[in-house]
Amino acid sequence: MSTVRLLQAMSLTKRFHGLQAIDDVSFELWRGEMLGLIGPNGAGKTTLVSLISGTLEADGGSLFFEGKPIDHLAPYERAHLGIGRTFQVTKPFPRLTVLENVAVGALFGFGGGVRDLKEAREQARALLEFTGLAHRADQQGDQLGGPDRKRLELAKALALRPKLLLLDEVMAGLNPSEIDEVVTVVKKIRDSGTSILVIEHVMRAIRSLSDRIIVLHHGEMLAEGEPNTILADPRVIDAYLGKRRA
Amino acid sequence: MLRWVVPLVCVIALAALPLTGDDVLIQYGIDALLFATLAQAWNILGGFTGYVSFGNSSFYGLGTYGTAIAMAQLHWPFGVGLALGAFLAVACAVLFGIPILRLRGHYFAIATLGLSATLAAIIANLDISGKNIGLILPLTRADNAFYEEALLLLIAATATVAWIAKSRFGTALLAIREDEDAALVMGINTTRYKIAALALSAFFTSIAGGIHAYWITFVDPAGAFDLTLNVRMVIMAMFGGPGTVFGPLVGAFVLSTVYDVLASSISTAAALLFGLVIVLAVIFMPRGLWDLAGGFRRDGARYFLQNIRAHRL
Amino acid sequence: MLLAQILLNGVLLGGLYGLMALGMALVWGVLNIVNLAHGAFVMLGGYCVYFAFAGLGIDPFAALPIAFVAMFALGYVLQRYALNLIVRSAQLNTLLITFGLDVVLTYLAQLAFTADFRTINPSYAGANVTIFELTLPLLRFAAFIAALIFAALLWVMLQRTRLGRAIRATAQNLTAARLYGVDPARLYALTFGLGVGIAGAAGGLYGMVSQVTPYIGATLTAKSFVITIMGGLENPFGIVLAGIVIGVIEALASIYIGPTFTDVISFGLLVLILILRPARSMRTA
Repeated sequence: MSTVRLLQAMSLTKRFHGLQAIDDVSFELWRGEMLGLIGPNGAGKTTLVSLISGTLEADGGSLFFEGKPIDHLAPYERAHLGIGRTFQVTKPFPRLTVLENVAVGALFGFGGGVRDLKEAREQARALLEFTGLAHRADQQGDQLGGPDRKRLELAKALALRPKLLLLDEVMAGLNPSEIDEVVTVVKKIRDSGTSILVIEHVMRAIRSLSDRIIVLHHGEMLAEGEPNTILADPRVIDAYLGKRRA
Repeated sequence: MLRWVVPLVCVIALAALPLTGDDVLIQYGIDALLFATLAQAWNILGGFTGYVSFGNSSFYGLGTYGTAIAMAQLHWPFGVGLALGAFLAVACAVLFGIPILRLRGHYFAIATLGLSATLAAIIANLDISGKNIGLILPLTRADNAFYEEALLLLIAATATVAWIAKSRFGTALLAIREDEDAALVMGINTTRYKIAALALSAFFTSIAGGIHAYWITFVDPAGAFDLTLNVRMVIMAMFGGPGTVFGPLVGAFVLSTVYDVLASSISTAAALLFGLVIVLAVIFMPRGLWDLAGGFRRDGARYFLQNIRAHRL
Repeated sequence: MLLAQILLNGVLLGGLYGLMALGMALVWGVLNIVNLAHGAFVMLGGYCVYFAFAGLGIDPFAALPIAFVAMFALGYVLQRYALNLIVRSAQLNTLLITFGLDVVLTYLAQLAFTADFRTINPSYAGANVTIFELTLPLLRFAAFIAALIFAALLWVMLQRTRLGRAIRATAQNLTAARLYGVDPARLYALTFGLGVGIAGAAGGLYGMVSQVTPYIGATLTAKSFVITIMGGLENPFGIVLAGIVIGVIEALASIYIGPTFTDVISFGLLVLILILRPARSMRTA
């Protein structure tokens, strides 16, 4: 982890039909850092990821990537700069094979991707190996089961060769041993120098992965800090458990 | 091996058809070849990106009128006429595509519906296009030349689609068809690729229009911008197999023949049967004849049941 | 002609356009099917009322429920035994199958009823009332009122009945029907039947103010589509209003610009609306 800012968010705001989904959120993400993003359901975590990836347009505030403003860039331009994301509700290309699904990322990712189809397929095959999907390479995207769909989602985002990887609940619905596998993979990604923003409900995973955690609640920043401090913070515990008490 | 031998044999057989000297057969051949080209051109956008265009009949009309105006009014040669028509059609595709291709699904399809009617109304009021009455082109050539040109055009269109299917460009189009939001975050400039696909589609469509205009030596707004022509392109491509290289050709040749045979007996019954075939085809082979051929060999009659099971409520 | 008179004629015609489009919007909004055969059902409804009137001597307004029920039944059967088989396949396929239905219905009508123009001409067809300088044709006025009554009944049915609530819930979520204890296959068939029944009733009214031939379907489908988009898929009041707007535009255009341009104008408007609307609202279709 360095002290170079990779991503900086300043006063981000997003409303949906009067509902304040993201309210004046500012934070930064350092190069090489693994930043955890937690908060109860409906806190605005996925919305924040969508604002960074460009899938949604912010109503206010600004985003800087490697020091340059990216607010007016389309999602594909952000992908070219090196921002890759996964979707919580996985989005495989249903009638392309798993290999082709991943090759798309290699063809159009960082810097505009590679030109050669064969080279893209080779990169994709290596990523399938890396994420444990190699045996599914020739199946169609819509034939995968839950855990494999999550793996494919991860492999597709990695194929973009991102500098910043946004992971939106890639472990949801996995069993403990599958979670351990994904944690290992994500750690390897971080060790290769990729910065990661990770949304996760699995606390064990987020504690072991994150260098730092930010907490969203009702679209606002509730807390920010070291994993152990944050997870012991009464406000955070309240935000999570308060709902259950009510 | 077989993948290249079969098309090659087909091409040779088709190229040799004029040797029969059978005028009726050759005329049917020109028609069928042009229809196959139209279905193939529609396939570039419709089959690969999933965007259903009803605006292709306007590209056809522009190709028709480009050629007709060049030859009948300006006395330019046929080739220049084709180029003029193609230029008009591609320019229209790009200008119209920029705002329209932001729309998705049904909305795109319907927005394109109005294009033909609008262009027909404009053409019907211009002096250079002969207003409502239309234009008459010089009658100079034998059918054989048109036949060979139509065949060449179809080969060019099919070769283009074959290239698309194996290219980076085609991969982008398929990704757009499968999930456009995902394609965007995967780094694909979806707008640019969609416009390029529409422009390519417009190019082949307009050339087919130009050849047809010179062949029948007469154009008028109603015939040139006929929406039912577009509907036939869609049905032929869908019937054969959208998003495949040879499906639209198979669909076009099969339906052209069926329609021709039926139309020569009773026209109402022909149309009725045509409608019925579409309804049944959508239910039993929603991915077209091309998929049916493979699926039937694999699963036999169960193929039909599988389709219904996969798509019913 | 007096401008006010043209406007009045447009409004009266537009009411029936609005009703017709409500049927399409219901099917589109709930089932996500853009029914390209919609106009063909309007056409068949027109024939129902025509034959009830000309053959059996039933007053055309009394025959409207007959047309509604007949078309409802036809729609129910078609959805249950054909369209339900493909609702989960590619969107284009629903367009295609309803296009095929349109062709079949059009040419069946041609075989059964010939291509003759039919007009429903009750004894009071020529009656009108003059207010100031405006002529109010009674038949057209009654058709306008009948269209509004049908639209109101549909609205009440959707808001107040259990079936209506189930239908509206299904528009949000395909499997919601089960929560109301309704089998989704039946709910789909009922919804399609309702939409097509509305088309049938609108067709009866169309036969009174215009002419019915087997070929009127395509343009009426296109019109319903334009109106639905203009009005907003989930906004019944907007749709009736948009129907009236289109009626007025058509009346104005056919007088001032010439009849060939009326279609171009409504399509031009449609494209403009589509482009100017925010992209987000187009995502769901």
